[in-house]
Amino acid sequence: MNPDVVSAIARLRAENVLSGGQAALFDRVARRKLVSVRLELRALLYVGVLLLTSGVGLLVKEHHREIGPWAIAGGIGLVAAACLVWVIRKSAPFSWGEVQSPSVAFDYILLLGLLLFASDLAYVEVQFMVLGPNWAHHLLVIGTVYLLAAYLWDSRTVLGLALTTLAAWRGVSISLISGSHWAADAGHLRFSAIALGTLYVAAAALSVLLKRKVHFEEVFANAGLLLLFGALVSGGLDDEPAWGLWLAALLVVAGVVMWLSFHLGRSLYFAQGVVAAYIGLVRLLFEPFRNASGLPFFLAALLGLGVLALIFAAHRRMRER
Amino acid sequence: MRPNSIAWERAAEVHEAAQGWLRVGAVDEPTADAIRKTFPDPCVTPSAVWRVLTACVVAAVVLCTFQAVSIAFRPGKIGQQVLLFLFAGASLVSANLLEASPRFARRGAAGAASFLGVGFLLIGFGLFLLETRHMRFDDAIDAILIASVLAWAASCWRWGSPLFAGLSAISLFLFLGRLPYGRVLWTLAGGALAGVAARRLDEGSWAPSHRRSAAVLVVAGVVAAYVAVNLYSLDEHLLEELGRFAARRIVPSRGLIVLSALATAAVPLAVLIWGWRSRRTFLLDTGIVLLALSLVTLRHYVRIAPLWAMLTLSGAVLIVLALAVERTLRRAREGERAGFTADPLFSDERRQHALQILPVVAAFTSAAPGPAAQEKDFTGGGGKFGGGGAGEKF
Repeated sequence: MNPDVVSAIARLRAENVLSGGQAALFDRVARRKLVSVRLELRALLYVGVLLLTSGVGLLVKEHHREIGPWAIAGGIGLVAAACLVWVIRKSAPFSWGEVQSPSVAFDYILLLGLLLFASDLAYVEVQFMVLGPNWAHHLLVIGTVYLLAAYLWDSRTVLGLALTTLAAWRGVSISLISGSHWAADAGHLRFSAIALGTLYVAAAALSVLLKRKVHFEEVFANAGLLLLFGALVSGGLDDEPAWGLWLAALLVVAGVVMWLSFHLGRSLYFAQGVVAAYIGLVRLLFEPFRNASGLPFFLAALLGLGVLALIFAAHRRMRER
Repeated sequence: MRPNSIAWERAAEVHEAAQGWLRVGAVDEPTADAIRKTFPDPCVTPSAVWRVLTACVVAAVVLCTFQAVSIAFRPGKIGQQVLLFLFAGASLVSANLLEASPRFARRGAAGAASFLGVGFLLIGFGLFLLETRHMRFDDAIDAILIASVLAWAASCWRWGSPLFAGLSAISLFLFLGRLPYGRVLWTLAGGALAGVAARRLDEGSWAPSHRRSAAVLVVAGVVAAYVAVNLYSLDEHLLEELGRFAARRIVPSRGLIVLSALATAAVPLAVLIWGWRSRRTFLLDTGIVLLALSLVTLRHYVRIAPLWAMLTLSGAVLIVLALAVERTLRRAREGERAGFTADPLFSDERRQHALQILPVVAAFTSAAPGPAAQEKDFTGGGGKFGGGGAGEKF
């Protein structure tokens, strides 16, 4: 029971702010006489899909010789097709607007079907070498299929998968930021991340401007900004001589993102811009002080105070949406 | 907590409920406005993004200032402790002032300041015991853990953060684990904590954040009791490793093993029944997680089937179970059965959107093959969630 809400409902009913029917329903929920388990059902389906696809992956890994490539490819393909046929039968007609899922299970059966499809395609590629030396392009195929499925069946989850798969096709992952790939081909990865990030941000803008799946904007823009800032921050923190150029680019992009997100009322994009700019400026502050000195820390603290003032001012004026 | 802060929190609870009613169209905008006027909340309440951002920047400012002063003055051992206590005092006083102001109470700055304040206090206390009092390391750890229990509990009581309640509970169980018969103490204290805290979950005289802290303590108690009775934990002497001295690896008797195995199976079911009967979803969630851990424990000792079969089967069972529950609830009269429904009611759909965005983050955290990688090294699409970032090699 939520005693504060229960007593508030009684008072609101007594003052005729709420009708009898409204008060009765709200009171049942506040007293926990009616409880929603929707989130729990979603979580169970989500974990179920993960376990099932992991099990299938392990089965193929351990027993692909005994079972045989055709049986594996056919079996996984059949289950994936069954899932997707179920999705096609249950789905609502296509619309460029937001489409409500027909049931809680819909998104997860779709996810299961697509993950199994991806596993199947990857297995076929490994076994039969369809793409040969261009094997990494199978990720492009999977990403494109995910993207089409996301639009067709209006799934943000699948759109998220599509964007990360396309990023993986270009070799981009969190490793760019964590540093494990810095030594290998950091420049190439950074440019890929910037190109993809820009593309995703542009897709977010187009979604809104053309009113085509407007609710996809958040997924596109967050993925895009993560890629963009990840690449620019990694360049700005690098020891290469060009770090200053990366830092300048980072500050310009962060400034533009903050300015745009402020006017658009998007706090999450604004926050990403603030964090990226702060990291870049801290690097700039520390650069002249190679020996242990308290001054850069002091300056970083002052900079933080400035950032706090900016945050408070932006929050006061931003019309968040 | 200050009476004003409690009153603001109560008003915020009503506002949040009204926001849920408005979101699903159960009330109209004029009614929601009337509710807000009836229960005025003077606090500025930014969204979670702003609060996290503010908390992070405040933490950066405080830590940078501490480091700047440390380097500038290069204090000795005692000086360092004094500095830590000074920063602890300043942070805690700041937290108190911020929390008293409706403009700043819910911006995340008070939370960060109080967290850092307690952190400085505990580190300073630890250094004082080790470097000034020259206490033995094990004795110092015990004293720090006791101080940690008290400091986090007092902070929770003062500022109402459920996180602090959790940290206090963790410190308590770490301390108990270091005592002789730590496993018994974990079981008893876990059960007692869950029982006592559960009685306060609906306590009207408590502030909403204190009731949420009580929920955290219930979960902490249940989990501690479960860890203490779990067969794998007993077999691997997981709690005995926390002990002050080298863990005594006494082989448990057969009777104890049987008892532990029974408890491993029974505790999750008991928690699920408790959650079902009380209709508390956080207990149901805890029960589900513990049940999963018990199944993993079972798999560890009884090789029923190969891992791939267990994963596939358990995944399929979970999907079928969720679908069956959803269908049962949908087909029930008015879409509810035993007080449960599959409808979202007034819950915030943004949480579910966050679940949908999760794969993006999950996939970004796994290494993906780049076009530069020329080895024929397949990274499968279904192993680790995220397709492109999957990790199963065939």
